[in-house]
Amino acid sequence: MSELKTVLLVEDDPWLAELEVGVLQNAGYKVAHSPHAPSAIVAIDEVHPDVIVLDVLLTGSTAFALLHELQSYGDTGAVPIILCTNMAEALSLEDVARYGVKRIVDKTTMHPDDLVAAVRSVFL
Amino acid sequence: MSADREEHEDLGTDLHIYDVSSLTAAAHELKAPLALVRQIALRLEDENVTPAERQRLLSQITLTSERALRLTSDLTKSARLEDALFELEPINPEQICRDIVSELAPLFSAHQRELAVVHRSHPLLLVANRDLLRRIIMNFSDNALHYSQPGTVVHLQIQALKRGGMIRVGVRDYGPALSSDMWRTLRKKLANSPQSIHARPQSSGLGLFIASQFADAMNGRIGATRHRDGATFYVELQASQQLSLL
Repeated sequence: MSELKTVLLVEDDPWLAELEVGVLQNAGYKVAHSPHAPSAIVAIDEVHPDVIVLDVLLTGSTAFALLHELQSYGDTGAVPIILCTNMAEALSLEDVARYGVKRIVDKTTMHPDDLVAAVRSVFL
Repeated sequence: MSADREEHEDLGTDLHIYDVSSLTAAAHELKAPLALVRQIALRLEDENVTPAERQRLLSQITLTSERALRLTSDLTKSARLEDALFELEPINPEQICRDIVSELAPLFSAHQRELAVVHRSHPLLLVANRDLLRRIIMNFSDNALHYSQPGTVVHLQIQALKRGGMIRVGVRDYGPALSSDMWRTLRKKLANSPQSIHARPQSSGLGLFIASQFADAMNGRIGATRHRDGATFYVELQASQQLSLL
């Protein structure tokens, strides 16, 4: 039996994070949650995520600061990123692909299944 | 006064009249609570939700909606500031703080935080408009909820300043220290009208901008102090002359 894939969810709204963690766990993923970029850095070292689901506007700093940090190391730079954001309409995948972003999910319109589908898609 | 190394920033000095970007900022600020309410509603559609979880989710919808409605109410009030006359009167801010603690207790409790007033045995009176002062403190409290650590107490505190007969009402939160970079970003954000979404971390500063407008309308100002373990956002207003009669 293959090992469970690990998802690191970086989301600063605790209630939304709880919902998203539940959705991903029900879909069969192991999920770690970080509320902001500094704790995400720690979590990446600890859980070695297979994919990172990242909110863009985080408390304290934006996701782009974290993405820059991740891209500066070979191992973390290879982890696929899914942006899950309220500002999806202002982003294009083409512009952020160089940060390892594979998918952009629009929080304002997404159905819980969309998040699972996005995560699943990076493993295909 | 704590021995923390502190850094103060006047938040209101250079704030300009809102322009079209305010509409973008307002729209964006409302997106987050609306998106959250929608996700909770989708979760409620799941027939496997237990009665206890259903109750908790419904409570989250109520509390999230109330936060969003406070913002819309402040926006409306802010837009009408120039057309309205506001009655300024001697006020005991501690009473307003106590009312706010009662009102926000469920929200703070739902986020595993607490809001409390630091009691003064000798009340300080200031000159303010009750509604505007209440809105400012509510705004700072909402802000503190977001930035404080779970399990901590956010304190509403009132103090007399030595200079110029001013009274400061502050909202002190306890959370991770703002880095110098983040502090510079905050100062920049607060020294300008709300910035484009791309330039900002987490918030457009819309709430602080509105609080600054409300303080201006009462001849006061807002500011912030950075501590090693959190921050204090405050409003300073003229002390009431009735102080001398106490």
